[in-house]
Amino acid sequence: MNQSPIGAVAALLLTRQLTTLSPIDILILVLYFVVVIFIGFYVKGSVNTSEEFFLAGREMTAWIAGLSFVSANLGSLELMGWAGAAYQYGILATHWYWIGAIPAMLFLGIVMMPFYYISKTHSVPGYLQLRFGEGARGLSAVSFGLMTILMSGVNMYAMALVMKVILGWNISFSIWVGAITVAIYVMLGGLRSAIINEVLQFVLIWAGAALIPILGLVEAGGWTNLKAQIAKNVGSTDYTHMWTTLGHFKDNPMGVHWTGIVFGLGFVVSFGYWTTDFLVVQRVLSANNLRAAKMAPVIGAAFKMAVPFIVIVPGLLALAVLKNPDGSVLHLVGENMVNAQHPYSYNEVLPLMLIRYCGPGLLGLGITALVAGFMSGMAGNVSAFSTVWTYDIYGAFFNKKASDKHYVAMGRWSTVIGMLVSIATAYLVANAASIMDYVQALFSFFIAPLFGTVVLGMLWKRATKAGGFWGLLLGTASSIGMWIYTTYGGAAALARIALSSDARPMAETLYRALWSWIICVGVTVVVSFMTKPTPEAELAGLVYGATIIPDDGATSLFQKPIFWAIIVIIVFFILNIVFF
Amino acid sequence: MRVEVLEMAEGTGRGEALSIWFFVGVLTLLYGVVLLPYGAWAWFTHHEAPTVLNNLHPTFWWGLLLTVFGGFYTLRFRPRKGSSNKA
Repeated sequence: MNQSPIGAVAALLLTRQLTTLSPIDILILVLYFVVVIFIGFYVKGSVNTSEEFFLAGREMTAWIAGLSFVSANLGSLELMGWAGAAYQYGILATHWYWIGAIPAMLFLGIVMMPFYYISKTHSVPGYLQLRFGEGARGLSAVSFGLMTILMSGVNMYAMALVMKVILGWNISFSIWVGAITVAIYVMLGGLRSAIINEVLQFVLIWAGAALIPILGLVEAGGWTNLKAQIAKNVGSTDYTHMWTTLGHFKDNPMGVHWTGIVFGLGFVVSFGYWTTDFLVVQRVLSANNLRAAKMAPVIGAAFKMAVPFIVIVPGLLALAVLKNPDGSVLHLVGENMVNAQHPYSYNEVLPLMLIRYCGPGLLGLGITALVAGFMSGMAGNVSAFSTVWTYDIYGAFFNKKASDKHYVAMGRWSTVIGMLVSIATAYLVANAASIMDYVQALFSFFIAPLFGTVVLGMLWKRATKAGGFWGLLLGTASSIGMWIYTTYGGAAALARIALSSDARPMAETLYRALWSWIICVGVTVVVSFMTKPTPEAELAGLVYGATIIPDDGATSLFQKPIFWAIIVIIVFFILNIVFF
Repeated sequence: MRVEVLEMAEGTGRGEALSIWFFVGVLTLLYGVVLLPYGAWAWFTHHEAPTVLNNLHPTFWWGLLLTVFGGFYTLRFRPRKGSSNKA
């Protein structure tokens, strides 16, 4: 999962602009908007039932669901933030794409997806309702709905700020044009048009960004020369090794230990995000059969492994090739250190590299890729919000017996209302930037405990309704408590939570996730043993051991999701060894 | 194998003639068709933008790649008569 540098990108509060668009660039951007709006109107005709609106009719193939799954997470702020992180921390940032994503995606596909899929749930809170009752569903639906819509607003503002920095666009113009376009196509076509646009966006991001690493590696003279130049420019070889510097918190610029990366990021944070965040899981639920639902995350994982090429490599290239006009090395700095001597920040790496290699036309393509990423991120948030609102809040607590048509209308309306709340959040953040940090912290409170609850629910028959509810509640509360403690408790608090006084905030997030997950699991286990077991008949289709998992229809080795998952994990290990 | 291809072609929903891959093809083809002539003009009239490695004419070659990729997908998944949702 990759979220944390978003706030840093959004802090690009500068008054200048990096470049301007020529007519051909504007033509490319306009073509994108025309196609996107056309898709919304085109798809509308076949979106009539709630299943079609909220789950794209459950008829997406593995490839489409898989690309959409990985694309929903590949927003433009992700790209810019992690390119900046690669400049700042070196190749360590790749962990958020490999160990921080691949094992979790494969686990979702092979182990968890059958339960999500055969339970016929519409959402992750919906699964919690089936397994743990209304309390757990209400808690996760309200927290997810609130966070999703707030995050959408934060992203909206951050992207408008990026457009202002790169192109000098007015903030309100970017917010309203993006929001209205997304609202139109999601309201008309629901998840189906969101998914089509995510697949388009995935192709566009590669079309717009792949030239940067290609030309950059040509300029640097290949990977070996790039490593040598980085070592010369920064005076250390640490920037191009993924594991050798993780022996101690002090040995790497991220201030993190390998246990934090492996257990905190690789296990809890990553599994929490990729297996329980409904924004991404919803894409896989749209698959047209069980095999497609299992294959989609495997396909997504294969593509996810390639993303560092267009995100991390440009950040590393910048360490080697960016120069001042006098030929000296150009140093990028933190947001708060930008001045006349150091005019650019880390987070401007991607735009700087784009401008370095791309003239008119290609620049428009790169900007379109950023805009597409931004819009599809918003569409993802809004479509997930409208589903959870309609099924798990409105349909569960306010109006249980409405017609299907009524729920579709509610889905369309909640899309518009959700978008308006996002816009209001964007303006709120514009006036008080610190709100953004709080919203992101809020998001981190729920993910790890939710994973504890869902995974125990799926794999352990003895987990009871009360266990699930109290585990989720106390896990979340403990995460909030630790966050308050480390935010206001100074270095001593940080040292206790992250196990070292040398730990940095990034490490704090990883360890806090780990502890809150352990607390959630511990509480669930203890409360479950203290309460009456759920009869096994009620667990059919929901829990491992109480469910006969239907055959996924694979007839040959090449059709088996597990075969491709093994291939992906082998490549994953090879890559980690190559860049060790 | 044929079944797999048809499955991949399934697109935007019941009763619709256009596949998702068709949209992917059309958009990339449009971009190729815009970038390729512009890149050729910039190359042959020496109007390359002052970017690093502009001597490699990236706009032209990238435009060509997008045209070929987009053209292939547009043709491969073009709507065909009597085969709604399958082409």
